[in-house]
Amino acid sequence: MDSTLRMLYHLAQGPLVWAAFILFWVGSVYQVARLLSLTRKMETRRRGRAPDEGPLSAARSTDGQPGRWSARLRLSIAGTHSLTIGVSVIFHTLLFMVPLFLLAHNILVDEAWGVSLFAFREKLSDYLTWLFLACVLFFLLRRILLARLRAISSFQDYYILFLAAAPFASGLLAYHQIFDYRTMITLHMLLGEIMLVSIPFTKIAHLFLFFVLRFLVNHEYSLGSGRRAWR
Amino acid sequence: MVKSERKPLEEIRASIKGYRRILNMGCGGCSSVCLAGGQREVKALNFELNAFFRAAGIDSHVDEITIERQCNQQYFDDLYEMVPDYDCLLSMACGAGVQLVAETFPDIPVFPALNTVSIGIDREVGVFEERCRACGQCVLTYTGGICPVTCCAKSLFNGPCGGTNQGMCEIGPDTPCAWKSIYERLKRQNRLDDILKMQPPMAWRNQVVRVTVQAPYAKGHRK
Amino acid sequence: MPDRVATEVTVSAESTAVDPARIKQMLNRHKAKIKISLRACVHCSLCAESCFLYTSHQQAPRYMPAYKFIHSTGLLYKKKGKVDRACLEKIRDIVWQDCVLCTRCYCVCGIDIPGLISLARGICRSQGVYPDFGVSGDG
Repeated sequence: MDSTLRMLYHLAQGPLVWAAFILFWVGSVYQVARLLSLTRKMETRRRGRAPDEGPLSAARSTDGQPGRWSARLRLSIAGTHSLTIGVSVIFHTLLFMVPLFLLAHNILVDEAWGVSLFAFREKLSDYLTWLFLACVLFFLLRRILLARLRAISSFQDYYILFLAAAPFASGLLAYHQIFDYRTMITLHMLLGEIMLVSIPFTKIAHLFLFFVLRFLVNHEYSLGSGRRAWR
Repeated sequence: MVKSERKPLEEIRASIKGYRRILNMGCGGCSSVCLAGGQREVKALNFELNAFFRAAGIDSHVDEITIERQCNQQYFDDLYEMVPDYDCLLSMACGAGVQLVAETFPDIPVFPALNTVSIGIDREVGVFEERCRACGQCVLTYTGGICPVTCCAKSLFNGPCGGTNQGMCEIGPDTPCAWKSIYERLKRQNRLDDILKMQPPMAWRNQVVRVTVQAPYAKGHRK
Repeated sequence: MPDRVATEVTVSAESTAVDPARIKQMLNRHKAKIKISLRACVHCSLCAESCFLYTSHQQAPRYMPAYKFIHSTGLLYKKKGKVDRACLEKIRDIVWQDCVLCTRCYCVCGIDIPGLISLARGICRSQGVYPDFGVSGDG
Protein backbone atom coordinates (compact mmCIF):
# COMPACT_ATOMS: atom_id res chain seq x y z
CA MET A 1 0.00 0.00 0.00
CA ASP A 2 2.69 2.38 1.04
CA SER A 3 4.72 1.67 -2.08
CA THR A 4 1.72 2.28 -4.35
CA LEU A 5 1.20 5.62 -2.68
CA ARG A 6 4.86 6.42 -3.01
CA MET A 7 4.78 5.59 -6.70
CA LEU A 8 1.63 7.66 -7.24
CA TYR A 9 3.22 10.53 -5.34
CA HIS A 10 6.27 10.52 -7.53
CA LEU A 11 4.21 10.16 -10.68
CA ALA A 12 1.90 12.99 -9.65
CA GLN A 13 4.69 15.39 -8.79
CA GLY A 14 6.80 14.53 -11.82
CA PRO A 15 5.78 13.24 -15.23
CA LEU A 16 2.04 13.75 -14.70
CA VAL A 17 2.52 17.46 -14.09
CA TRP A 18 4.25 17.76 -17.43
CA ALA A 19 1.70 15.57 -19.17
CA ALA A 20 -1.11 17.65 -17.70
CA PHE A 21 0.42 20.95 -18.73
CA ILE A 22 1.18 19.75 -22.25
CA LEU A 23 -2.30 18.29 -22.75
CA PHE A 24 -3.83 21.46 -21.35
CA TRP A 25 -1.94 23.74 -23.70
CA VAL A 26 -2.26 21.56 -26.80
CA GLY A 27 -5.97 21.05 -26.15
CA SER A 28 -6.59 24.72 -25.49
CA VAL A 29 -4.76 25.93 -28.58
CA TYR A 30 -6.63 23.34 -30.67
CA GLN A 31 -10.01 24.42 -29.30
CA VAL A 32 -9.38 28.12 -29.83
CA ALA A 33 -8.01 27.54 -33.32
CA ARG A 34 -11.02 25.44 -34.23
CA LEU A 35 -13.38 28.10 -32.95
CA LEU A 36 -11.57 30.79 -34.88
CA SER A 37 -11.77 28.68 -38.02
CA LEU A 38 -15.56 28.63 -37.58
CA THR A 39 -15.74 32.38 -37.77
CA ARG A 40 -14.51 34.81 -40.33
CA LYS A 41 -13.39 38.38 -40.18
CA MET A 42 -16.16 40.75 -41.18
CA GLU A 43 -15.40 43.34 -43.78
CA THR A 44 -15.69 46.83 -42.44
CA ARG A 45 -18.39 48.74 -44.24
CA ARG A 46 -19.26 52.35 -44.35
CA ARG A 47 -22.28 52.62 -42.13
CA GLY A 48 -25.48 54.25 -43.27
CA ARG A 49 -25.80 56.23 -40.09
CA ALA A 50 -23.87 57.05 -37.00
CA PRO A 51 -23.78 54.03 -34.70
CA ASP A 52 -24.12 56.10 -31.54
CA GLU A 53 -27.73 55.05 -30.88
CA GLY A 54 -27.01 51.58 -29.58
CA PRO A 55 -29.45 49.12 -28.07
CA LEU A 56 -28.81 50.43 -24.59
CA SER A 57 -29.61 54.02 -25.35
CA ALA A 58 -30.67 54.52 -21.74
CA ALA A 59 -27.17 53.86 -20.61
CA ARG A 60 -25.84 56.26 -23.19
CA SER A 61 -28.23 59.08 -22.41
CA THR A 62 -26.84 62.45 -21.45
CA ASP A 63 -29.98 63.63 -19.68
CA GLY A 64 -28.27 64.03 -16.36
CA GLN A 65 -29.83 60.76 -15.34
CA PRO A 66 -28.02 58.01 -13.40
CA GLY A 67 -24.44 57.81 -14.60
CA ARG A 68 -23.66 55.86 -17.71
CA TRP A 69 -21.85 52.98 -16.13
CA SER A 70 -24.23 52.49 -13.25
CA ALA A 71 -27.22 52.50 -15.61
CA ARG A 72 -25.41 50.06 -17.84
CA LEU A 73 -24.68 47.82 -14.88
CA ARG A 74 -28.24 47.95 -13.57
CA LEU A 75 -29.63 47.05 -16.98
CA SER A 76 -27.12 44.27 -17.55
CA ILE A 77 -27.16 40.71 -16.24
CA ALA A 78 -25.46 42.03 -13.09
CA GLY A 79 -28.63 43.98 -12.36
CA THR A 80 -30.94 41.05 -13.08
CA HIS A 81 -28.96 38.49 -11.09
CA SER A 82 -26.77 40.55 -8.77
CA LEU A 83 -26.13 37.76 -6.25
CA THR A 84 -25.26 35.05 -8.79
CA ILE A 85 -23.05 37.38 -10.78
CA GLY A 86 -21.35 38.59 -7.60
CA VAL A 87 -20.68 35.07 -6.37
CA SER A 88 -19.60 34.07 -9.85
CA VAL A 89 -17.06 36.88 -10.07
CA ILE A 90 -15.62 35.94 -6.68
CA PHE A 91 -15.59 32.24 -7.59
CA HIS A 92 -13.76 32.73 -10.88
CA THR A 93 -11.28 35.23 -9.44
CA LEU A 94 -10.38 32.91 -6.58
CA LEU A 95 -10.16 29.95 -8.92
CA PHE A 96 -7.17 31.65 -10.53
CA MET A 97 -5.80 33.73 -7.69
CA VAL A 98 -5.59 31.22 -4.86
CA PRO A 99 -3.46 28.57 -6.60
CA LEU A 100 -1.39 31.18 -8.44
CA PHE A 101 -0.46 33.15 -5.33
CA LEU A 102 -0.28 30.25 -2.90
CA LEU A 103 2.95 30.27 -0.92
CA ALA A 104 3.49 26.51 -1.16
CA HIS A 105 3.01 26.52 -4.95
CA ASN A 106 5.42 29.41 -5.34
CA ILE A 107 8.03 27.72 -3.23
CA LEU A 108 7.82 24.69 -5.54
CA VAL A 109 8.15 26.89 -8.61
CA ASP A 110 11.02 28.73 -6.99
CA GLU A 111 12.82 25.49 -6.18
CA ALA A 112 12.36 24.28 -9.75
CA TRP A 113 13.15 27.40 -11.75
CA GLY A 114 14.41 29.94 -9.29
CA VAL A 115 11.60 32.34 -10.09
CA SER A 116 8.26 32.83 -8.40
CA LEU A 117 5.27 35.09 -8.13
CA PHE A 118 4.32 37.13 -5.15
CA ALA A 119 2.51 34.97 -2.60
CA PHE A 120 -0.33 35.59 -0.13
CA ARG A 121 0.17 34.98 3.54
CA GLU A 122 -0.84 31.40 4.32
CA LYS A 123 -3.66 32.51 6.61
CA LEU A 124 -5.16 34.62 3.83
CA SER A 125 -4.98 31.74 1.33
CA ASP A 126 -6.70 29.61 3.94
CA TYR A 127 -9.59 32.07 4.30
CA LEU A 128 -9.88 32.53 0.54
CA THR A 129 -10.07 28.77 0.07
CA TRP A 130 -12.96 28.60 2.50
CA LEU A 131 -14.62 31.46 0.65
CA PHE A 132 -14.10 29.62 -2.62
CA LEU A 133 -15.68 26.46 -1.24
CA ALA A 134 -18.62 28.55 -0.02
CA CYS A 135 -19.09 29.77 -3.60
CA VAL A 136 -19.03 26.15 -4.78
CA LEU A 137 -21.72 25.34 -2.25
CA PHE A 138 -23.78 28.27 -3.56
CA PHE A 139 -23.59 26.96 -7.13
CA LEU A 140 -24.34 23.43 -5.99
CA LEU A 141 -27.41 24.47 -4.01
CA ARG A 142 -28.56 26.68 -6.85
CA ARG A 143 -28.34 23.78 -9.25
CA ILE A 144 -30.19 21.44 -6.92
CA LEU A 145 -32.87 23.82 -5.70
CA LEU A 146 -33.89 25.95 -8.68
CA ALA A 147 -36.30 24.36 -11.14
CA ARG A 148 -34.92 26.38 -14.03
CA LEU A 149 -31.46 24.91 -13.45
CA ARG A 150 -32.74 21.41 -12.91
CA ALA A 151 -34.49 21.66 -16.27
CA ILE A 152 -31.17 21.90 -18.10
CA SER A 153 -28.68 20.29 -15.71
CA SER A 154 -26.68 17.26 -16.74
CA PHE A 155 -24.11 15.05 -15.07
CA GLN A 156 -21.28 17.13 -16.51
CA ASP A 157 -22.45 20.24 -14.66
CA TYR A 158 -21.93 18.50 -11.32
CA TYR A 159 -18.73 16.93 -12.57
CA ILE A 160 -17.06 20.22 -13.52
CA LEU A 161 -18.13 21.77 -10.24
CA PHE A 162 -16.51 18.81 -8.53
CA LEU A 163 -13.38 19.21 -10.66
CA ALA A 164 -13.11 22.84 -9.62
CA ALA A 165 -13.76 22.18 -5.94
CA ALA A 166 -11.77 18.97 -5.41
CA PRO A 167 -8.21 20.39 -5.69
CA PHE A 168 -9.18 23.18 -3.31
CA ALA A 169 -10.82 20.87 -0.80
CA SER A 170 -7.98 18.34 -0.88
CA GLY A 171 -5.41 21.12 -0.65
CA LEU A 172 -7.20 22.52 2.38
CA LEU A 173 -7.27 19.13 4.07
CA ALA A 174 -3.60 18.61 3.33
CA TYR A 175 -2.67 22.05 4.64
CA HIS A 176 -4.53 21.44 7.89
CA GLN A 177 -3.08 17.92 8.05
CA ILE A 178 -6.53 16.41 8.37
CA PHE A 179 -6.47 12.73 7.44
CA ASP A 180 -3.18 11.30 6.23
CA TYR A 181 -1.10 14.14 4.81
CA ARG A 182 0.76 12.00 2.30
CA THR A 183 -2.47 10.59 0.86
CA MET A 184 -4.12 13.99 0.76
CA ILE A 185 -1.28 15.77 -0.99
CA THR A 186 -1.04 12.98 -3.57
CA LEU A 187 -4.78 13.19 -4.11
CA HIS A 188 -4.49 16.97 -4.34
CA MET A 189 -1.86 16.77 -7.08
CA LEU A 190 -3.76 14.14 -9.03
CA LEU A 191 -7.02 16.07 -8.84
CA GLY A 192 -5.28 19.25 -9.90
CA GLU A 193 -3.78 17.48 -12.89
CA ILE A 194 -7.12 15.96 -13.83
CA MET A 195 -8.70 19.41 -13.67
CA LEU A 196 -6.01 20.94 -15.84
CA VAL A 197 -6.36 18.26 -18.51
CA SER A 198 -10.15 18.51 -18.38
CA ILE A 199 -10.22 22.23 -19.16
CA PRO A 200 -10.12 21.99 -22.97
CA PHE A 201 -12.23 18.84 -23.20
CA THR A 202 -15.16 19.54 -20.89
CA LYS A 203 -17.53 22.41 -20.24
CA ILE A 204 -14.66 24.11 -18.40
CA ALA A 205 -13.63 25.08 -21.93
CA HIS A 206 -15.89 28.09 -21.39
CA LEU A 207 -12.70 29.50 -19.90
CA PHE A 208 -11.56 30.44 -23.40
CA LEU A 209 -14.80 29.97 -25.35
CA PHE A 210 -16.14 32.87 -23.27
CA PHE A 211 -13.41 35.21 -24.43
CA VAL A 212 -13.63 34.23 -28.07
CA LEU A 213 -17.42 34.33 -28.26
CA ARG A 214 -17.94 37.47 -26.20
CA PHE A 215 -14.96 39.51 -27.37
CA LEU A 216 -14.11 38.39 -30.89
CA VAL A 217 -17.49 37.50 -32.37
CA ASN A 218 -19.75 40.39 -33.25
CA HIS A 219 -23.25 40.22 -31.77
CA GLU A 220 -25.67 42.22 -29.68
CA TYR A 221 -23.93 41.40 -26.45
CA SER A 222 -20.32 41.39 -27.60
CA LEU A 223 -17.88 42.98 -25.24
CA GLY A 224 -15.10 44.88 -26.88
CA SER A 225 -15.16 45.44 -30.60
CA GLY A 226 -15.10 41.96 -32.10
CA ARG A 227 -15.28 41.95 -35.87
CA ARG A 228 -15.76 38.26 -36.47
CA ALA A 229 -18.95 36.56 -37.63
CA TRP A 230 -20.03 32.95 -37.80
CA ARG A 231 -19.27 31.43 -41.16
CA MET B 1 -38.33 43.25 -41.73
CA VAL B 2 -39.70 46.55 -40.50
CA LYS B 3 -36.99 48.76 -39.04
CA SER B 4 -37.61 51.40 -36.41
CA GLU B 5 -35.66 53.55 -34.03
CA ARG B 6 -36.47 55.08 -30.69
CA LYS B 7 -37.82 58.59 -30.53
CA PRO B 8 -35.78 61.14 -28.61
CA LEU B 9 -36.41 60.89 -24.89
CA GLU B 10 -37.78 64.42 -24.68
CA GLU B 11 -40.49 63.63 -27.20
CA ILE B 12 -41.51 60.49 -25.33
CA ARG B 13 -41.55 62.35 -22.03
CA ALA B 14 -43.68 65.12 -23.51
CA SER B 15 -46.22 62.62 -24.85
CA ILE B 16 -46.77 60.87 -21.52
CA LYS B 17 -46.63 64.03 -19.44
CA GLY B 18 -49.44 64.24 -16.88
CA TYR B 19 -50.29 60.53 -16.91
CA ARG B 20 -49.68 58.63 -13.70
CA ARG B 21 -49.91 54.96 -14.46
CA ILE B 22 -48.16 54.21 -17.73
CA LEU B 23 -47.68 50.84 -19.44
CA ASN B 24 -44.80 50.50 -21.87
CA MET B 25 -45.43 47.65 -24.30
CA GLY B 26 -42.60 45.96 -26.17
CA CYS B 27 -43.09 43.94 -29.33
CA GLY B 28 -41.36 40.59 -29.93
CA GLY B 29 -41.65 40.94 -33.70
CA CYS B 30 -39.77 43.26 -36.01
CA SER B 31 -39.02 45.98 -33.49
CA SER B 32 -37.35 43.42 -31.26
CA VAL B 33 -35.32 42.07 -34.17
CA CYS B 34 -34.13 45.57 -35.09
CA LEU B 35 -33.09 46.19 -31.49
CA ALA B 36 -35.51 49.11 -31.08
CA GLY B 37 -38.48 47.82 -29.10
CA GLY B 38 -37.90 44.40 -27.58
CA GLN B 39 -37.97 43.55 -23.90
CA ARG B 40 -34.46 44.86 -23.43
CA GLU B 41 -35.26 48.29 -24.86
CA VAL B 42 -38.47 48.44 -22.84
CA LYS B 43 -36.47 47.86 -19.67
CA ALA B 44 -33.91 50.48 -20.69
CA LEU B 45 -36.52 53.11 -21.54
CA ASN B 46 -38.49 52.43 -18.35
CA PHE B 47 -35.34 52.64 -16.30
CA GLU B 48 -34.69 56.05 -17.78
CA LEU B 49 -38.25 57.34 -17.48
CA ASN B 50 -38.74 56.12 -13.91
CA ALA B 51 -35.41 57.61 -12.89
CA PHE B 52 -36.56 60.90 -14.38
CA PHE B 53 -39.91 60.76 -12.54
CA ARG B 54 -38.16 60.07 -9.26
CA ALA B 55 -35.61 62.82 -9.74
CA ALA B 56 -38.28 65.34 -10.74
CA GLY B 57 -40.59 64.32 -7.91
CA ILE B 58 -43.33 63.36 -10.36
CA ASP B 59 -45.86 60.82 -9.13
CA SER B 60 -45.82 58.70 -12.29
CA HIS B 61 -44.58 55.21 -12.96
CA VAL B 62 -43.97 53.15 -16.10
CA ASP B 63 -44.54 49.39 -16.02
CA GLU B 64 -43.53 46.94 -18.70
CA ILE B 65 -44.89 44.09 -20.77
CA THR B 66 -43.57 42.58 -23.98
CA ILE B 67 -45.88 40.55 -26.19
CA GLU B 68 -45.23 38.40 -29.25
CA ARG B 69 -46.58 40.90 -31.74
CA GLN B 70 -48.61 44.05 -31.52
CA CYS B 71 -49.92 43.72 -35.08
CA ASN B 72 -52.11 40.71 -34.22
CA GLN B 73 -54.85 40.73 -31.59
CA GLN B 74 -54.32 37.02 -31.09
CA TYR B 75 -51.38 37.92 -28.89
CA PHE B 76 -53.20 40.55 -26.84
CA ASP B 77 -54.28 38.33 -23.91
CA ASP B 78 -51.87 40.02 -21.52
CA LEU B 79 -52.96 43.44 -22.70
CA TYR B 80 -56.68 42.78 -22.14
CA GLU B 81 -55.79 41.87 -18.60
CA MET B 82 -53.38 44.70 -17.82
CA VAL B 83 -54.39 47.72 -19.86
CA PRO B 84 -57.51 48.73 -17.85
CA ASP B 85 -55.23 49.53 -14.90
CA TYR B 86 -53.35 52.21 -16.82
CA ASP B 87 -53.90 55.86 -17.73
CA CYS B 88 -51.94 55.72 -20.95
CA LEU B 89 -49.96 53.28 -23.06
CA LEU B 90 -46.55 53.59 -24.63
CA SER B 91 -45.91 51.29 -27.54
CA MET B 92 -42.50 50.18 -28.78
CA ALA B 93 -43.96 48.52 -31.86
CA CYS B 94 -44.00 49.82 -35.43
CA GLY B 95 -46.74 52.16 -36.59
CA ALA B 96 -49.00 49.24 -37.41
CA GLY B 97 -48.68 47.79 -33.93
CA VAL B 98 -49.36 51.13 -32.28
CA GLN B 99 -52.54 51.53 -34.31
CA LEU B 100 -53.90 48.08 -33.59
CA VAL B 101 -53.36 48.64 -29.88
CA ALA B 102 -55.02 52.06 -30.15
CA GLU B 103 -57.95 50.54 -32.02
CA THR B 104 -58.29 47.75 -29.46
CA PHE B 105 -58.35 50.16 -26.52
CA PRO B 106 -60.11 53.26 -27.91
CA ASP B 107 -60.61 54.81 -24.45
CA ILE B 108 -56.96 54.87 -23.51
CA PRO B 109 -54.34 57.07 -25.20
CA VAL B 110 -51.58 55.14 -26.94
CA PHE B 111 -48.29 56.87 -27.73
CA PRO B 112 -45.55 55.59 -29.99
CA ALA B 113 -42.05 55.40 -28.53
CA LEU B 114 -40.52 54.53 -31.89
CA ASN B 115 -40.29 56.06 -35.31
CA THR B 116 -40.97 53.41 -37.91
CA VAL B 117 -38.30 53.94 -40.51
CA SER B 118 -38.27 51.37 -43.26
CA ILE B 119 -38.52 47.86 -44.51
CA GLY B 120 -34.92 46.89 -44.61
CA ILE B 121 -32.14 44.39 -44.29
CA ASP B 122 -29.78 43.60 -41.43
CA ARG B 123 -26.30 44.60 -42.49
CA GLU B 124 -24.70 43.80 -39.16
CA VAL B 125 -25.61 44.07 -35.50
CA GLY B 126 -27.63 47.25 -35.14
CA VAL B 127 -27.06 48.42 -38.71
CA PHE B 128 -29.98 48.28 -41.11
CA GLU B 129 -30.51 49.53 -44.63
CA GLU B 130 -33.79 50.34 -46.32
CA ARG B 131 -34.61 48.15 -49.29
CA CYS B 132 -38.38 48.33 -49.80
CA ARG B 133 -41.00 51.04 -49.62
CA ALA B 134 -44.00 48.74 -49.88
CA CYS B 135 -45.20 50.50 -53.04
CA GLY B 136 -47.40 47.54 -53.87
CA GLN B 137 -46.15 47.08 -57.43
CA CYS B 138 -42.86 45.22 -57.35
CA VAL B 139 -40.64 45.70 -60.41
CA LEU B 140 -37.58 43.84 -59.14
CA THR B 141 -38.10 41.29 -61.92
CA TYR B 142 -36.98 43.84 -64.48
CA THR B 143 -34.48 45.78 -62.41
CA GLY B 144 -31.97 43.07 -61.54
CA GLY B 145 -33.13 42.85 -57.95
CA ILE B 146 -32.42 46.51 -57.20
CA CYS B 147 -35.42 48.58 -56.17
CA PRO B 148 -35.64 51.87 -58.06
CA VAL B 149 -38.43 53.14 -55.81
CA THR B 150 -36.19 52.82 -52.75
CA CYS B 151 -32.74 53.42 -54.20
CA CYS B 152 -33.43 56.11 -56.83
CA ALA B 153 -33.88 59.57 -55.37
CA LYS B 154 -36.79 60.17 -57.73
CA SER B 155 -38.19 56.66 -57.34
CA LEU B 156 -38.22 56.38 -61.13
CA PHE B 157 -39.79 53.26 -62.59
CA ASN B 158 -38.11 53.90 -65.93
CA GLY B 159 -34.69 55.38 -65.57
CA PRO B 160 -32.17 56.73 -65.39
CA CYS B 161 -32.98 60.44 -65.52
CA GLY B 162 -30.68 63.09 -66.89
CA GLY B 163 -29.19 63.70 -63.47
CA THR B 164 -27.02 60.60 -63.49
CA ASN B 165 -23.40 61.66 -63.39
CA GLN B 166 -20.45 59.27 -63.64
CA GLY B 167 -22.54 56.60 -61.93
CA MET B 168 -23.57 58.95 -59.14
CA CYS B 169 -26.85 60.72 -58.43
CA GLU B 170 -27.33 64.42 -58.92
CA ILE B 171 -28.41 64.84 -55.30
CA GLY B 172 -24.86 64.21 -54.12
CA PRO B 173 -21.57 62.63 -55.04
CA ASP B 174 -21.96 60.00 -52.29
CA THR B 175 -25.24 58.62 -53.59
CA PRO B 176 -24.89 56.02 -56.31
CA CYS B 177 -27.32 56.17 -59.20
CA ALA B 178 -29.71 53.26 -58.71
CA TRP B 179 -30.26 52.95 -62.43
CA LYS B 180 -26.55 52.70 -63.07
CA SER B 181 -26.46 49.79 -60.62
CA ILE B 182 -29.50 48.25 -62.30
CA TYR B 183 -27.78 48.55 -65.67
CA GLU B 184 -24.60 46.92 -64.37
CA ARG B 185 -26.49 44.07 -62.72
CA LEU B 186 -28.62 43.34 -65.80
CA LYS B 187 -25.58 43.49 -68.05
CA ARG B 188 -23.76 41.03 -65.85
CA GLN B 189 -26.71 38.64 -66.15
CA ASN B 190 -27.14 39.22 -69.89
CA ARG B 191 -30.61 40.60 -69.33
CA LEU B 192 -30.15 44.13 -70.64
CA ASP B 193 -33.33 43.90 -72.66
CA ASP B 194 -35.23 44.04 -69.38
CA ILE B 195 -34.21 47.65 -68.88
CA LEU B 196 -35.99 48.54 -72.07
CA LYS B 197 -39.30 47.13 -70.88
CA MET B 198 -41.37 50.17 -70.02
CA GLN B 199 -43.10 49.95 -66.69
CA PRO B 200 -46.51 51.62 -66.52
CA PRO B 201 -46.73 54.45 -64.00
CA MET B 202 -47.37 53.46 -60.44
CA ALA B 203 -51.02 53.34 -59.49
CA TRP B 204 -50.10 54.87 -56.13
CA ARG B 205 -52.50 52.66 -54.36
CA ASN B 206 -50.92 53.66 -51.13
CA GLN B 207 -53.16 56.71 -51.22
CA VAL B 208 -55.74 54.47 -49.56
CA VAL B 209 -55.36 51.90 -46.83
CA ARG B 210 -54.20 48.77 -48.58
CA VAL B 211 -55.65 45.48 -47.47
CA THR B 212 -53.72 42.32 -48.21
CA VAL B 213 -55.64 39.07 -48.55
CA GLN B 214 -53.56 36.01 -49.40
CA ALA B 215 -55.38 33.90 -51.98
CA PRO B 216 -55.67 30.68 -49.92
CA TYR B 217 -57.25 32.69 -47.16
CA ALA B 218 -59.62 34.74 -49.31
CA LYS B 219 -62.52 32.44 -48.67
CA GLY B 220 -64.62 33.96 -45.96
CA HIS B 221 -62.94 37.34 -46.11
CA ARG B 222 -65.52 40.06 -46.45
CA LYS B 223 -64.51 43.41 -47.74
CA MET C 1 -50.47 34.87 -19.93
CA PRO C 2 -52.25 31.60 -20.75
CA ASP C 3 -50.38 29.11 -22.88
CA ARG C 4 -50.28 30.08 -26.49
CA VAL C 5 -53.36 29.04 -28.43
CA ALA C 6 -53.18 25.34 -29.16
CA THR C 7 -54.97 25.58 -32.49
CA GLU C 8 -52.16 27.65 -33.87
CA VAL C 9 -49.87 24.67 -34.22
CA THR C 10 -51.52 21.54 -35.54
CA VAL C 11 -50.02 18.38 -36.86
CA SER C 12 -48.95 18.69 -40.45
CA ALA C 13 -51.27 16.74 -42.68
CA GLU C 14 -48.91 14.42 -44.53
CA SER C 15 -47.16 11.73 -42.52
CA THR C 16 -44.06 10.95 -44.53
CA ALA C 17 -41.24 8.97 -42.99
CA VAL C 18 -38.44 10.82 -41.24
CA ASP C 19 -35.11 10.80 -43.09
CA PRO C 20 -32.34 10.60 -40.45
CA ALA C 21 -29.60 10.72 -43.09
CA ARG C 22 -30.86 14.09 -44.32
CA ILE C 23 -31.08 15.41 -40.77
CA LYS C 24 -27.57 14.22 -40.08
CA GLN C 25 -26.35 15.89 -43.23
CA MET C 26 -27.92 19.19 -42.15
CA LEU C 27 -26.42 18.84 -38.67
CA ASN C 28 -23.01 18.03 -40.09
CA ARG C 29 -22.98 21.26 -42.04
CA HIS C 30 -22.96 23.07 -38.70
CA LYS C 31 -21.36 20.33 -36.64
CA ALA C 32 -18.52 22.32 -35.14
CA LYS C 33 -20.76 25.24 -34.23
CA ILE C 34 -23.29 22.98 -32.52
CA LYS C 35 -20.57 21.09 -30.70
CA ILE C 36 -18.86 24.23 -29.46
CA SER C 37 -22.15 25.80 -28.43
CA LEU C 38 -23.18 22.73 -26.46
CA ARG C 39 -19.79 22.70 -24.79
CA ALA C 40 -19.72 26.42 -24.04
CA CYS C 41 -23.15 26.26 -22.39
CA VAL C 42 -22.50 25.81 -18.68
CA HIS C 43 -26.22 25.49 -17.95
CA CYS C 44 -26.17 28.59 -15.77
CA SER C 45 -29.75 29.65 -16.65
CA LEU C 46 -28.78 33.32 -16.78
CA CYS C 47 -30.27 33.57 -20.26
CA ALA C 48 -33.78 33.06 -18.87
CA GLU C 49 -34.82 36.66 -18.25
CA SER C 50 -33.68 37.85 -21.66
CA CYS C 51 -36.60 35.88 -23.15
CA PHE C 52 -39.77 37.90 -22.87
CA LEU C 53 -41.83 34.73 -23.24
CA TYR C 54 -40.13 33.39 -20.13
CA THR C 55 -40.93 36.50 -18.13
CA SER C 56 -44.55 36.60 -19.31
CA HIS C 57 -45.22 32.88 -18.71
CA GLN C 58 -44.65 32.79 -14.94
CA GLN C 59 -41.00 31.95 -15.55
CA ALA C 60 -41.71 28.48 -16.86
CA PRO C 61 -38.30 26.83 -17.48
CA ARG C 62 -39.32 25.57 -20.91
CA TYR C 63 -39.10 29.13 -22.24
CA MET C 64 -35.46 29.50 -21.23
CA PRO C 65 -33.33 30.05 -24.35
CA ALA C 66 -30.85 27.41 -23.17
CA TYR C 67 -33.65 24.89 -22.60
CA LYS C 68 -34.97 25.56 -26.08
CA PHE C 69 -31.72 25.05 -27.94
CA ILE C 70 -30.60 22.08 -25.83
CA HIS C 71 -33.90 20.31 -26.40
CA SER C 72 -34.06 21.06 -30.11
CA THR C 73 -30.77 21.28 -31.99
CA GLY C 74 -28.91 19.81 -29.01
CA LEU C 75 -31.20 16.79 -28.91
CA LEU C 76 -31.01 16.23 -32.67
CA TYR C 77 -27.25 16.40 -32.46
CA LYS C 78 -26.99 13.98 -29.56
CA LYS C 79 -29.24 11.49 -31.34
CA LYS C 80 -27.25 12.02 -34.55
CA GLY C 81 -30.48 12.73 -36.39
CA LYS C 82 -32.01 9.37 -35.51
CA VAL C 83 -35.35 10.65 -34.27
CA ASP C 84 -38.95 9.74 -34.99
CA ARG C 85 -41.78 11.94 -36.05
CA ALA C 86 -43.14 12.35 -32.55
CA CYS C 87 -39.77 13.67 -31.43
CA LEU C 88 -39.66 16.14 -34.31
CA GLU C 89 -43.14 17.29 -33.41
CA LYS C 90 -42.01 17.95 -29.86
CA ILE C 91 -39.10 19.94 -31.25
CA ARG C 92 -41.49 21.83 -33.53
CA ASP C 93 -43.52 22.93 -30.53
CA ILE C 94 -40.36 24.17 -28.83
CA VAL C 95 -38.94 26.09 -31.77
CA TRP C 96 -42.18 27.60 -33.06
CA GLN C 97 -44.62 27.66 -30.18
CA ASP C 98 -42.20 28.54 -27.39
CA CYS C 99 -39.92 30.77 -29.46
CA VAL C 100 -40.75 33.64 -31.78
CA LEU C 101 -37.14 34.01 -32.93
CA CYS C 102 -36.95 37.60 -31.80
CA THR C 103 -33.19 36.89 -31.74
CA ARG C 104 -32.58 38.67 -28.45
CA CYS C 105 -31.35 35.84 -26.20
CA TYR C 106 -28.56 36.89 -23.87
CA CYS C 107 -25.87 34.32 -23.22
CA VAL C 108 -23.05 34.84 -20.75
CA CYS C 109 -20.76 32.79 -22.97
CA GLY C 110 -21.96 34.40 -26.19
CA ILE C 111 -23.61 31.34 -27.73
CA ASP C 112 -25.62 32.10 -30.86
CA ILE C 113 -28.86 30.62 -29.51
CA PRO C 114 -31.19 32.06 -32.20
CA GLY C 115 -28.92 30.58 -34.86
CA LEU C 116 -29.24 27.13 -33.31
CA ILE C 117 -33.01 27.41 -32.95
CA SER C 118 -33.42 28.46 -36.57
CA LEU C 119 -31.29 25.46 -37.52
CA ALA C 120 -33.76 23.21 -35.71
CA ARG C 121 -36.58 24.94 -37.57
CA GLY C 122 -34.85 24.20 -40.85
CA ILE C 123 -34.41 20.54 -39.97
CA CYS C 124 -38.07 20.20 -38.95
CA ARG C 125 -39.13 21.86 -42.20
CA SER C 126 -36.95 19.49 -44.23
CA GLN C 127 -38.95 16.61 -42.73
CA GLY C 128 -42.31 18.23 -43.40
CA VAL C 129 -42.84 19.07 -39.75
CA TYR C 130 -43.91 22.67 -39.24
CA PRO C 131 -46.82 24.64 -37.90
CA ASP C 132 -49.54 25.27 -40.43
CA PHE C 133 -51.10 28.05 -38.41
CA GLY C 134 -54.53 26.50 -38.34
CA VAL C 135 -54.95 26.36 -42.10
CA SER C 136 -54.53 22.99 -43.72
CA GLY C 137 -51.98 22.21 -46.35
CA ASP C 138 -52.34 22.97 -49.99
CA GLY C 139 -54.12 26.31 -49.96
